[in-house]
Amino acid sequence: MPDTQTAAARRPWLDPTAQPFVRILNVTKKFGDFTAVWNVSLDIWKGELFGLLGGSGSGKSTLLRMIAGFETPTAGRIEIDGQDMTAVPPYERPTNMMFQSYALFPHMTVERNVAYGLLREGKSRAEAMERVAEMLKLVQLTPFAGRRPHQLSGGQRQRVALARALIKRPKLLLLDEPLGALDKKLREETQFELVKIQETLGITFIVVTHDQEEAMTLSSRIGVMNEGEIVQVGEPNEVYEFPHSRFVADFVGSVNIFEGRVIEDEPDYIRLASAEAGCDIHVGHGVACALNQTLWYAVRPEKLRLSRTDPGGAFNRVPGVVDEIAYLGNLSIFRVRLDSGKMVRATRANVARVDEEATSWGDRVWVSWTDTAGVVLPR
Amino acid sequence: MSAPAARRGPMTRLLAGLGLSGRALVIAVPLAWLLLFFLVPFLVVAKISLAEPAIAQPPYTALWSWEGLRLTLRLGFENYAFLLQDALYLDAYLFSIATAFISAAAALVVGYPMAYFIARSDEPRRTLLLMLVILPFWTSFLLRVYAWQGFLRDTGVVNGLLLGLGVIDEPLRILQTNFAVYLGIVYTYLPFMILPLYATLVKLEQDLLEASADLGARPLATFLTVTLPLSMPGVIAGFLLVFIPAIGEFVIPELLGGPNTLMIGRVLWNEFFSSRDWPVASAVAIVMLVVVVVPIVFLRQAQARAEERVR
Repeated sequence: MPDTQTAAARRPWLDPTAQPFVRILNVTKKFGDFTAVWNVSLDIWKGELFGLLGGSGSGKSTLLRMIAGFETPTAGRIEIDGQDMTAVPPYERPTNMMFQSYALFPHMTVERNVAYGLLREGKSRAEAMERVAEMLKLVQLTPFAGRRPHQLSGGQRQRVALARALIKRPKLLLLDEPLGALDKKLREETQFELVKIQETLGITFIVVTHDQEEAMTLSSRIGVMNEGEIVQVGEPNEVYEFPHSRFVADFVGSVNIFEGRVIEDEPDYIRLASAEAGCDIHVGHGVACALNQTLWYAVRPEKLRLSRTDPGGAFNRVPGVVDEIAYLGNLSIFRVRLDSGKMVRATRANVARVDEEATSWGDRVWVSWTDTAGVVLPR
Repeated sequence: MSAPAARRGPMTRLLAGLGLSGRALVIAVPLAWLLLFFLVPFLVVAKISLAEPAIAQPPYTALWSWEGLRLTLRLGFENYAFLLQDALYLDAYLFSIATAFISAAAALVVGYPMAYFIARSDEPRRTLLLMLVILPFWTSFLLRVYAWQGFLRDTGVVNGLLLGLGVIDEPLRILQTNFAVYLGIVYTYLPFMILPLYATLVKLEQDLLEASADLGARPLATFLTVTLPLSMPGVIAGFLLVFIPAIGEFVIPELLGGPNTLMIGRVLWNEFFSSRDWPVASAVAIVMLVVVVVPIVFLRQAQARAEERVR
């Protein structure tokens, strides 16, 4: 399949004439006094693999359950393929869901589990079984057709759940923490398998996950949720490199955040005074802000440079002491205590097998960064 | 472990010396209970069923006698033959089984929605509803059956209400019918149906019902293909718990049934207390046990299969 066919390459969200496939319009869900989802509006395009990322209690699962029809929005509406779904029961929606618990029917064999949706649709047994056989082949479960769920491993159950959700060729597949119960190695394999299946079948996926790495690997776009609200939507690199808020910067990957006060505000640069960093921060582009306003500067660990000699200059450089080093093989993570007392995290790729300028525990180092390394965050 | 024996306490060693393990001891207590209160009485009844009636105290002949060094054993199977000869007994057995079956089925139909509702309620209310199910056990069973007489008789509450509303012109005959017996049994044994059903239904995960709906099953289809098969162990357990005691039920047919509701419990009572024919009565009891055991064995097997399926 040519690369241009994949969702990530097509990027329909950049095309102003494209019609969204799933429209979530001002949806709110309250359980008693508790607001699980607050005024969420979101457009998802056909063929996308959309990741809903958030911590527990962020409302991401509730939003997914409303799309599936298990919960009714307190306010707002949900459209799928141009049709209002708000009052449509789950058994009449063109969606299928893969449950976090897998929810396989324990009293049915793998084959019967996968056939379930087709038989409910009124398909003949013969036709259903033919399609089940095809589907089991796709997920490599053919030898296990006659087994019961409790006779399968976690990974196999996960694939049964996927097969069962895909068999009806839904317009929209909803996946609730699809890889949550798998071990790390299996997760990674399955991630790529999921993407492959999604591209082969061309079905729109919405994946709920709390794992930012999983969201990054799988998704064409990510919606980050916090306390019932969508706080940012964007492509993975957009969300990572251009977070809108401290929450997103911190939730997606790790980050160093310095509080600062605007002391110079020019069209092509601004400068922050930061007691937390212990130096002035120079930002190499204009920012909409006012003098003396408090802003936050977020810079990723891999964008900090460590050196034993003073790189020179009047800003973006602070001395500190190496507090801790974690060697991960491909990279090393340094925790450096700045002279201001602030602890920062810096990573260095171990490109050479023997480090010429070896930095060790207790060494005095200079931490520096370029004027485009970080993001200015208003909140 | 290198020396397991050395790690055991003195008590365990003593028991081991006597050839007893702790596990055997745990089983021994209920086993002794069953021996003493089930097997021994059963053997006594079996013994009496092989004797002849006599005008004596107790009112049956001895099975064996010593004359000098001669032991005479007299085993009479006439009582069992008698049960076969008189159609009354066969009718009573069949009627008892039919009544118990109908009542258990009716209890299932009534109890299932109740158990389902309780299992689907949220926590504090669930406990309250379970309490309400068990609550009738706190008053005397006899009293409650007598209360039904008051409800059902010609001048009772039900007829009074229907007459008052003008639905009927003359009182319906409810008391002293088979219907009243079914009603009494369903009412009395309903908790035994609801509790095992509740126990299986409460374990039924919401996810499975949602998955079924998600795959296109309407609520009725979900019930028939997911809920019902997964609650089969509870259905069978509840059915057994109502069916078995209902076969030998005496009080309910006596108080609510008519002269022609001839259940085996009533026959048994008559043989013991009216005819004072203990041997025939004992034979009736032994046959009833066999009649009860056969369906139990079948249903237990069905239950084991159902449990295997829902594992």
